Amino acid sequence: MKVRARTLAAVAAVGGASIAALAVLERRRERGLTRGPGGRVRVERGMAALRLAARGGARYASNAPRLFASAGEHRQQLRNDLALQTAEDVTATLGTMKGVLMKLGQMASYVNDGLSPAARRTLSRLQDSVPPMSPELAAQVVTEELGRPPERVFATWDPEPIAAASIGQVHRAITHDGRAVAVKVQYPGIAETIEADLGNVALLRRMLKISAPSQDVDALLAELKERVTEELDYRREARNQQMFARFYEGHPTISVPQIVDELSTRRVVTSELADGARFAELADWSQAERDLAAETIYRFVFRSLYEAHAFNGDPHPGNYLFHGGGRVTFLDFGLVKYFTAEEMQPLAAMVKHLCVDKDPEGFRQAMVRAGFLVPDAPVSTPLVVEHMAVFYDTVRERGPRTMTGEYAAAVTRKFFDFRSPLAAYARIPRSYVILQRINLGLFALLGELSAAADWRGIAEEIWPFFQGPPCTPMGAAEAAWRSRRPVPRT
Amino acid sequence: MTAEPYAAAVGLVERYAAAFVSGVPDQPEDDGFFGPGSVTWRLAADLSAPVAGLRSVLVQALHPLAMAGVDQHSDWRRDPVGRLAATSAYLATLTYGDRASASRVARRVRAIHEHVRGTDTVTGRPYAAGDPALLVWVHAALVDSVLAATRLFGTPPASADADAYVDEMAVSAELLGVPREIIPDSVAALEEYISGVLSELQCTPAAAESMGYMLDPAGMGEEIAELWQDLREAALATLPSWARDLYGYPAPPPITPDRRTEIRQTLGVFDAVFMAEPGVLEARQQLAVRMRTASPGTRG
Repeated sequence: MKVRARTLAAVAAVGGASIAALAVLERRRERGLTRGPGGRVRVERGMAALRLAARGGARYASNAPRLFASAGEHRQQLRNDLALQTAEDVTATLGTMKGVLMKLGQMASYVNDGLSPAARRTLSRLQDSVPPMSPELAAQVVTEELGRPPERVFATWDPEPIAAASIGQVHRAITHDGRAVAVKVQYPGIAETIEADLGNVALLRRMLKISAPSQDVDALLAELKERVTEELDYRREARNQQMFARFYEGHPTISVPQIVDELSTRRVVTSELADGARFAELADWSQAERDLAAETIYRFVFRSLYEAHAFNGDPHPGNYLFHGGGRVTFLDFGLVKYFTAEEMQPLAAMVKHLCVDKDPEGFRQAMVRAGFLVPDAPVSTPLVVEHMAVFYDTVRERGPRTMTGEYAAAVTRKFFDFRSPLAAYARIPRSYVILQRINLGLFALLGELSAAADWRGIAEEIWPFFQGPPCTPMGAAEAAWRSRRPVPRT
Repeated sequence: MTAEPYAAAVGLVERYAAAFVSGVPDQPEDDGFFGPGSVTWRLAADLSAPVAGLRSVLVQALHPLAMAGVDQHSDWRRDPVGRLAATSAYLATLTYGDRASASRVARRVRAIHEHVRGTDTVTGRPYAAGDPALLVWVHAALVDSVLAATRLFGTPPASADADAYVDEMAVSAELLGVPREIIPDSVAALEEYISGVLSELQCTPAAAESMGYMLDPAGMGEEIAELWQDLREAALATLPSWARDLYGYPAPPPITPDRRTEIRQTLGVFDAVFMAEPGVLEARQQLAVRMRTASPGTRG
């Protein structure tokens, strides 16, 4: 039983990560890409910026979040020298399980408890070992996917990638109608290679047993296969992002870059280029600004969940760009889970019973209905509540509360606490696995910002069973947006 | 020989990796005896290299005098991994080092060989490790194994390249004191040489015991041990039938395309584990860059 609970924890985390950072740009270097009236980029200035960018090789290193640890000019030169030039190079570098192992590493990179140190080291090294595609190879993929070479498809094309992405890399370009875009290009042949390697179930099972001992290998394997297979088709990510972009259209603080449909295919996805401060830069911002940014992220996560029944499972710090005043751009929709109304109902009921009705028995029954707790478990309801309370800590009472690193750590500890008497009777049904990213990712992120807010008040606004009045200026702006917008679509 | 038990194969991957890294020079004075454009460099980097290594010792051990020299003189039983790693470090320097470094390690090996003399208890024949006849056997077994392993599990060289490889590798035997005339310089010559030696080969108790250990090393760590099973199967599949017969190993099931893929996947995992060891990735990248610049368009 304990093994099982542990597994689910790992699955939760495995399910939660995806690496692509669309359009990771450093604000300071991007002054040329200012928006003109109507949100269009001023093309000349944009092109100048692109020309400038094309000269600077170091950009790739400084912006690549994981694949290439930045380590100075020498390393950068080395990467360029080793750039993958043909589909055969891709196969040699990422075939024979290496691509699959790399995905496993990326997906598990936020689990503190799930991987052995040796496995962790191997997987992270593997990520370092993959060079970017040469400009010619990237252009070849674009040509195959979009029918013409990138210099024709786009008015301007930056042959140097600006970031490593999930099984691909990101280039900047300007479309013929003047939009600055980020173009994510997939390594050629990677899909076939990874699909073939995912077929070696015996070896994968062995690998997982080694890298994540004492976990339910089959559940992990199923999750790995599903996630990786999904990621191989960029169209899915494009659809997810489009859904979020439409849902939040006109939102006062949440922004999602639009997908350029006609320039997106299985191996190429084109979206508006976004610009903003990176998460790390928030350290230099005022606490008030950090609080606002946190409030937006919090609203985004729960508004999406309760209203769009969609959860973007990757609250990775690299997936946000910050603009001040609480405005945040959300990037990377490679891992989105949609819930049915039936799946949402018990989740909402749990919150309602515990935090609003103060009805522990009702809470317990909702947990059983959701499948989180086996029926008739020989544990007392107060014990159940005690175990679960930490996850709801921030929304049990009104009033300002500060998210701290300690709180995030406590949540994580509780999540991985398999000695709890409850552990033997607790389950995480597969469809909810991804939600644990809230516990493991979102709270850690907000904790890092030391963000303070009346989280309960915000939750009350969002909870469909509560429909509370706006409790912050941002809430008021959001209410105005909601009253203006057409019937929300999910 | 007393049957001193073999030490556990602790740190196999780590020590192999350290051996490889030690052989790749930071600032070589020259391209060494092979160089970035050589077939030797390309085959040394082939995914099938671990199979070649294991097959190589399996074949080499069948010469009773070669086996006796290892068994009676080296640390083989006390520190089998150390012994293998030492060979590996030697080969890495020979392959990638500049001429001065390669010559230096070769001189050192020759000096060690001076002291490796004795009488094989099985055949009653005297032996000396510096005997060119033994050295050329060990050399030929290695070269043949690399070709056999790439043929079945790697990216096999074109036939001209295979000949070039045998020819390129001759210098490594020469450096250990083998006269050029008796070193095979083509695939045909290699095969002819091996057929000529077959009658001298036998599986001595020391060989049986050593190779039993190599095929299933004790104490390797559970994770590597599981992967090792595929490596063993691969090495056995590449063995010529006469070698299998001498050992008394049953004929392995044929390697189907699916099975080949699976074994290559295991080799890929091995490779990933190897690459995670300190310095390996850097050393490889350094070599890869040199190989690219050496022969643009025909990298491998």
